[in-house]
Amino acid sequence: MPKLTINGKEVDVPAGTNLIEAARAAGFEVPHYCYHPALSIAGQCRLCMVDIEKAPRPTIACNTLAADGMVVFTETDRVKETRRSMMEFHLINHPLDCPVCDQAGECWLQIYYMKHGLYDPRMTDEKVHKPKALPLGPHVMLDAERCILCSRCVRFCDEITGGGELGIFNRGDYSEIGLFPGHDLSNKYSGNVVDICPVGALTDRDFRFQVRVWYLDTAKSICPGCARGCNIDVHVNRRRPHHNGGRRVARLKPRFNADVNRWWICDDGRYGFDFVDAPTRIGMPSRRADRGPLEITWEEAIAEVASRLARYRPDEIGILASPRMSNEDLFALEALAGTLGIERLAFAVPPAAPGDEDKLLIRSDKNPNSRGAELIGLGGSADALLDDARAGRLRCLWVFHHDLLASAWPAAETRAALERLDTLIWSGTNTGATSELAHLVLPSAAWVEREGTFTNFEGRVQRFRTAVEPFGSARPDWDLLGQVLATVTGEGAPARAEGWFRRLAEAVPAFAGMTYRSIGDAGQVVSVP
Amino acid sequence: MSVAAIAFSPEQLAEVRRLQSLYPDKRGALLPVLHMAQDTFGYVSLEAEEYVAGLFDLSPAHVHEVVTFYTLYFREPKGRHVVAVCHNLSCHLAGAPEILAHVKRRLGIEAGETTGDGRITLQAVECLCACEAAPMMQVDDRYELNLTPEKVDRILEGLA
Amino acid sequence: MTLVLTRSFDDSSSHTLEAYRAHGGYAAWEKAQAMEPAAIVDEVKAANLRGLGGAGFPTGVKWSFIPKNHTGPVYLVVNADEGEPGTFKDRYLLERDPHALIEGMLIAARAIRSALGFVYIRGEYVEPWRRFSAAVREAYDAHHLGRGFDVVVHRGAGAYICGEETGLISSLEGKKGWPKVKPPFPAIKGAFGQPTIVNNVETLCCVPPIIERGAAWFAGLGTKTQGGTRMYSVSGRVKRPGVYETPVSVTLRQLIFEHAGGVTASGRLKAVVPGGGSAPILTADEIDVTMDVDGLKNAGSMIGSAGVVVMDESASIPEALMVLARFYAHESCGQCTPCRESTGWIYKMVHRIVEGHGHKDDLDTIVDVAKRGGGTTICAFYDGAVGPYVSYIEKFRPEFEALISRA
Repeated sequence: MPKLTINGKEVDVPAGTNLIEAARAAGFEVPHYCYHPALSIAGQCRLCMVDIEKAPRPTIACNTLAADGMVVFTETDRVKETRRSMMEFHLINHPLDCPVCDQAGECWLQIYYMKHGLYDPRMTDEKVHKPKALPLGPHVMLDAERCILCSRCVRFCDEITGGGELGIFNRGDYSEIGLFPGHDLSNKYSGNVVDICPVGALTDRDFRFQVRVWYLDTAKSICPGCARGCNIDVHVNRRRPHHNGGRRVARLKPRFNADVNRWWICDDGRYGFDFVDAPTRIGMPSRRADRGPLEITWEEAIAEVASRLARYRPDEIGILASPRMSNEDLFALEALAGTLGIERLAFAVPPAAPGDEDKLLIRSDKNPNSRGAELIGLGGSADALLDDARAGRLRCLWVFHHDLLASAWPAAETRAALERLDTLIWSGTNTGATSELAHLVLPSAAWVEREGTFTNFEGRVQRFRTAVEPFGSARPDWDLLGQVLATVTGEGAPARAEGWFRRLAEAVPAFAGMTYRSIGDAGQVVSVP
Repeated sequence: MSVAAIAFSPEQLAEVRRLQSLYPDKRGALLPVLHMAQDTFGYVSLEAEEYVAGLFDLSPAHVHEVVTFYTLYFREPKGRHVVAVCHNLSCHLAGAPEILAHVKRRLGIEAGETTGDGRITLQAVECLCACEAAPMMQVDDRYELNLTPEKVDRILEGLA
Repeated sequence: MTLVLTRSFDDSSSHTLEAYRAHGGYAAWEKAQAMEPAAIVDEVKAANLRGLGGAGFPTGVKWSFIPKNHTGPVYLVVNADEGEPGTFKDRYLLERDPHALIEGMLIAARAIRSALGFVYIRGEYVEPWRRFSAAVREAYDAHHLGRGFDVVVHRGAGAYICGEETGLISSLEGKKGWPKVKPPFPAIKGAFGQPTIVNNVETLCCVPPIIERGAAWFAGLGTKTQGGTRMYSVSGRVKRPGVYETPVSVTLRQLIFEHAGGVTASGRLKAVVPGGGSAPILTADEIDVTMDVDGLKNAGSMIGSAGVVVMDESASIPEALMVLARFYAHESCGQCTPCRESTGWIYKMVHRIVEGHGHKDDLDTIVDVAKRGGGTTICAFYDGAVGPYVSYIEKFRPEFEALISRA
């Protein structure tokens, strides 16, 4: 453990720590562009210079390992002057695009210029011109003039995803980031290069020109796209509702978690939030009627659910939960089922096509909480439920989130089975083929609209938090289920998700001892392997 | 020379493998093999880059990086002859600007261009390290030294 | 005067093995084979041999940086990517005495315990490459090579930066010629990740004579801090441009007036570039300087590759700077920010000045930008550019200002 002194402060760091990280550990930020902890050292930007005792000139911090007894200064006049020089070098050919560049507000040229530059520019010659607004694939837009050639994106495609699609062509100030002519940046993690690009050279096509970043609010969440549970931040536009096409969720960004996704998320997860404000979104409960669905109030809806459930024997009722539901939703459902004596419970409906999987992040199970559903005890056979429905043994089925007619089950048989039911209740966020057959459709709040926990495939329980208000009158499933339970039992139900989690932790051994606080931002692994 | 398809012959592929075996990492043979591709196909097209990338298990982008970085790889068809006039320091002091202007007039093209009949590609290049014989130029594989406008004319006329 | 490196240049068959043997070639290699590697290193250190490619680093000391306990391969790489403006000596050696280089490589390889050497020849040097490759084949046939040491001849593809030793290594590895961030240094981790020594052609050609006639003899030929002779490339406005081998104690005045016959054109000396294009320029009053590593360092310039370019009174210093600025902008590899961005910008400014459109602040801007970038880059290429940027303007400012006031 080398012990070194930085700006007069002694700090102990693990062997192999570079000076940028060592300074950070001591509470000092060393400005940098090309360095990224996930990638190899490039040493190209020359911004991270620091003064080291006995070194005749400032040295780059990223490529210098902390050594015992080293004395480092990150704020000498010489270092500050060097930073100012480096900012000038970076901006010599940089286009004055701020007014039209999406990166404004989170651009590291802007940020470091204001902090370390503040010189009067003296470059009056013609700047080098390069391609602008060049799509690099479905998700990424390149502006080669803005690029500071830090090579982070090149190294990402070499070292993280391995495809090597990006390169730096030519030389000198004609150097240019690009793809092999005619090729595409269509690997499944292409959006990450936008995150790691310090400037507006690589921007998100989906987010392009939608809303300024300083209007965005953020909430910590978990991507529900697969069983990995990548940690994310949800960026939400509340203050300029007329921007971004009226969509409330502006974009998703990965959030660092050393044990789950590190710095990355896949493109499917990153761009999978269109459904939140899509036209198919359901805002009000409705009952099936001759001239189309009839909107009803929640009081009416809950009363009808309770009364319909009371009509049948428990063994005539089946509930198809969804591994997209949170632990809180699932436990509330288990509680209701238990109270009513309903034993036909399942959650795993086979998907139409097998999901893709890779060695990086993507899991073939495209649901965030299969593990939670298993642990909470909802793992019955969904096929058996369908059989029962087909054979008429099931008279009432409550389906959560699944579109059964888009699953692997044969559509015609499935439709026949559903139509044979006396009562089909459907809970979910967006209309689909199954919801159209339902007698009662209940709107669920989407994952960005509520808080709760998911259990990923490794058993890690992770919190996701509310980013926006629910669409219309949609409610979290645990809330609806709690209200139904309250109607049935006459007892109050928890008013917050945390209340359900507490009950879950008491009832299910795998979650014993867990609290929202203990889960924190890093998550916590269940006690059962 | 136009080629129907970009592919090395079996003998050439054996040579590629031999070259690759000379280096601790076969990638070391990339520059020599790109020279081979240029000699065989006339220039290094994008198709040739992808072909060579396949021989080295490299992404085409990384081969493109190499081809665009170095000046001796032609990415478009070049003339039957390449005339590269040095315009660096000692040649400049010895009158390179006038020699270069003379060559441009004679050929009717600018530096970087090829004559319409495909005979000559003209380049203005950096120090070829024959400063004792300035001004000078490289014509294909050989250096032509101590140039005068008359000598230049004789040399150009000799290029078929 | 003792000719060491150029002793057989007058023999038109000097490049052949037969002629090399007749001149006593490969006797030093035989002697070296009976020496311990460490003894060879010590001999070369004692000879005060300094690198002759540009940096002037003591060669024996460089060899000793190879880790003693390394069990894997060690590579010897010859830098034949001669490209420094005003320099042409290595071309002569490759064409006229290729076996001297091979013999030097054999001895060096033994000293650093290398079994594999690479000779990186710039792509434009086609005839030298053919000559050297033929000599390698002769050496294999004669069993000098292939008995514990192999040589791979590798052609470059046109990039001055491949003359920088780690840029050369990158290019040898099949990549762009991007110099590597140091540390690690090549002797620790170089070509293909292994300890590597990169030496200039001429430097290695000095090794057989050192082994054969002894370090003391070689050291005695030169100055206190640099031994031997070297080949000075003299060009520009002189009567007899060419390669001149002299002891390193020669002065610049002697080279210009005694060896190269004096100044042409106006006949009056104005300025001299003493060490290749990257060396700070010297005025006509500054030529009584010893042309060894320390002599020129103390004079505020550098010997570099010993490329001497002479300018007379009729030469335009601003034009000369423009030519070099264009060179640096063209050859910048683009990897690190200060060099990539400012070499292009400075060329634009100097070009504008020469064309008569200079602004009054341009000169201060060029000098200030250059000084801010000096010492901050991955390799010394930019420092080589700073040499002319700053020295031409600081020493000949009135000539630049005259162009600007006319604007």
